[in-house]
Amino acid sequence: MFTKPALAAIVLASLGAVALALWLGGPRSSLGERRPMSSVFEPSEEFQFDPPQPGTYALHRIKTAPNGNVLDIDGKARTLSEITLGKISLVSFVYLNCGDINGCPLAMATLFDIHDASMLVPELRDKVQLVTLSFDPERDTVEAIEAFAYPVISDGNADKKLEWHVLTTSGQAELQPILNGYGQAVDRSKDQENISHLLRIFLVDGAGQIRNIYGLGLIDPRLLMTDVETLMMEEGLI
Amino acid sequence: MKRREFGGMAVSALALTAMPFSVSADETCQSPYMPMITGHEEYVYIWTLGVEGMGDEQDKMVTVDLRPNSDTRGQVINSVSVGGRNEAHHAGFNSDRRYLWAGGLDTNRIFIFDVHSDPSKPSLHKTIDSFVKDSGGCVGPHTFFALPGRMMITGLSNDEDHGGRTALVEYNDDGEYVATYWMPTADDMQGAVAADGAVADGYGYDVRALIRKNIMLTSSFTGWSNYMMDFGQMLGDAEAMKRFGGTMVQWDLHTRQPKKVFSVPGAPLEVRFPWGPNANYAFSTTALTSKLWLIYEDDAGEWQAKAVADIGNPADIPLPVDISLAADDQTLWINSFMDGTTRLFDVSDPHNPKQIYEKKIASQVNMVSQSWDGERVYYTSSLLGNWDKKGADDAQYLKAYKWNGSELVDDFEIDFYEAQLGRAHLMRFGSAALYS
Repeated sequence: MFTKPALAAIVLASLGAVALALWLGGPRSSLGERRPMSSVFEPSEEFQFDPPQPGTYALHRIKTAPNGNVLDIDGKARTLSEITLGKISLVSFVYLNCGDINGCPLAMATLFDIHDASMLVPELRDKVQLVTLSFDPERDTVEAIEAFAYPVISDGNADKKLEWHVLTTSGQAELQPILNGYGQAVDRSKDQENISHLLRIFLVDGAGQIRNIYGLGLIDPRLLMTDVETLMMEEGLI
Repeated sequence: MKRREFGGMAVSALALTAMPFSVSADETCQSPYMPMITGHEEYVYIWTLGVEGMGDEQDKMVTVDLRPNSDTRGQVINSVSVGGRNEAHHAGFNSDRRYLWAGGLDTNRIFIFDVHSDPSKPSLHKTIDSFVKDSGGCVGPHTFFALPGRMMITGLSNDEDHGGRTALVEYNDDGEYVATYWMPTADDMQGAVAADGAVADGYGYDVRALIRKNIMLTSSFTGWSNYMMDFGQMLGDAEAMKRFGGTMVQWDLHTRQPKKVFSVPGAPLEVRFPWGPNANYAFSTTALTSKLWLIYEDDAGEWQAKAVADIGNPADIPLPVDISLAADDQTLWINSFMDGTTRLFDVSDPHNPKQIYEKKIASQVNMVSQSWDGERVYYTSSLLGNWDKKGADDAQYLKAYKWNGSELVDDFEIDFYEAQLGRAHLMRFGSAALYS
């Protein structure tokens, strides 16, 4: 039996990837020069390069993020656009039963890292958010996503971290247009136990434009944070 | 949902933080962002040039059945014509492998085939007619390299002088234009540095990436004015023969910014990165100088380029074309067009490749594709419509072999002229198992 406290422990464990020791004093050096936000994360051996300097490259508008009807952890009907417009969003698609280590768990581990590290970067708090939508609405009910989101909403430091919207839909009719619009491929096996999918995280700007798409090999929190910072610079948010 | 169902995901997430990352790869030589066929390939899609006076005379995507127990194995089971001749050339899947993008070097049209709805019968899903206009003057869509949600396309030419100066062009998976990145030139290096006196020519051909190093490499061929010229005429035109690329460019994959220009004389064509977790190098071959090149990271972390082997006798100009690196990185198939020969190199020491086998496939050979397990190797014939050999030497085919570890053993072949199909060019494998 997996309990809520145990899941919370996992969240704490993910903090191991955060270079807390390197981040004393917050995002500004003693000289007042702002450090790249990505420096809150330790380099990982699977990403054998340093991220670029934020703001030194272009993030092109890839396509418009689709709108759609979703349900939040309180069961409230909302639209994706009302959640995403006006903020920079890292949008991910998962299903809670996923056991593919190169799938949802990889995305969630990275997002937990970013969520925890965000406490160290106050500039992010009101401008950036995480959005996670289940593509398994039959099993990932409102009750299920509420339980999943428990460590986030019960976090004593929640008000210092990024907002994280965990969402589901009322069913396939609402879900499929959203998946199609994002280009998130999902194949359902006959037994419905396993849902084959490609890991994707989408960077969406405040105007609702998809500005980057991350797959395997790119789910590096340093890289995601560098792109977020680049968008914040572009939008005059920092 | 039961609480215990969180376990599978959360425990995996914990384990993941301590696990080394391994890249998911496609069968041997395609974009590592794509799903791969590690079992038996079921179909091969062959992008085929229409020939005047033959069949419907149109370019077409031909599907051949490769299923081991199928009654139609080794036979053409589907053909989708695209309504004209475009100088059909290369093709590549998008990152979820549901669509196969195929380009026309002459008309600049891009045809997007749906290969997932029925993998045995691809259908034409969309045609992009605005490549030149979209890109701001890029001509000759060549390589289609999948990025997550996007397609990176190399050009071969431009619409100003139809020479070799060209660009990389990015579209989203819906076929909508995203961005153009012009190749660096000596006059505009875009921040790149020239290695060992290299002169950036701005030419393009192939593109490949090593994700964990954030490295993208491009190579260089020639422009529309040459690739659409009769081969014999071009060989006799001294000015035309000067218009070939002689560089490769190292890019920052994430920012799409050029970083370093290497001198690789003689038109470096295909680029292949290995799959090994510590293999920090790529291979390319030069068409005109018949050399195998290694682009590698040195001990100081700098990328370098050097020739590491001859391919056949360079003085005979065998014209190396397609290459295929085995999934275990130990061997490399290299085709040469003029002598119709395939050669296998032992590249276990990438700095000292050794040829270990060769076989004449036909009077001419261009493309080679091997299965993920390396046990089956497929060849097609056409290089370019105006460069293919003439008369009886103009063999057009798909030939399938089994590799038993020491020699290629005949499996089956299809004569594309006898079947009234045209000139067989690029191959890509399909499988229904990808879309369960």
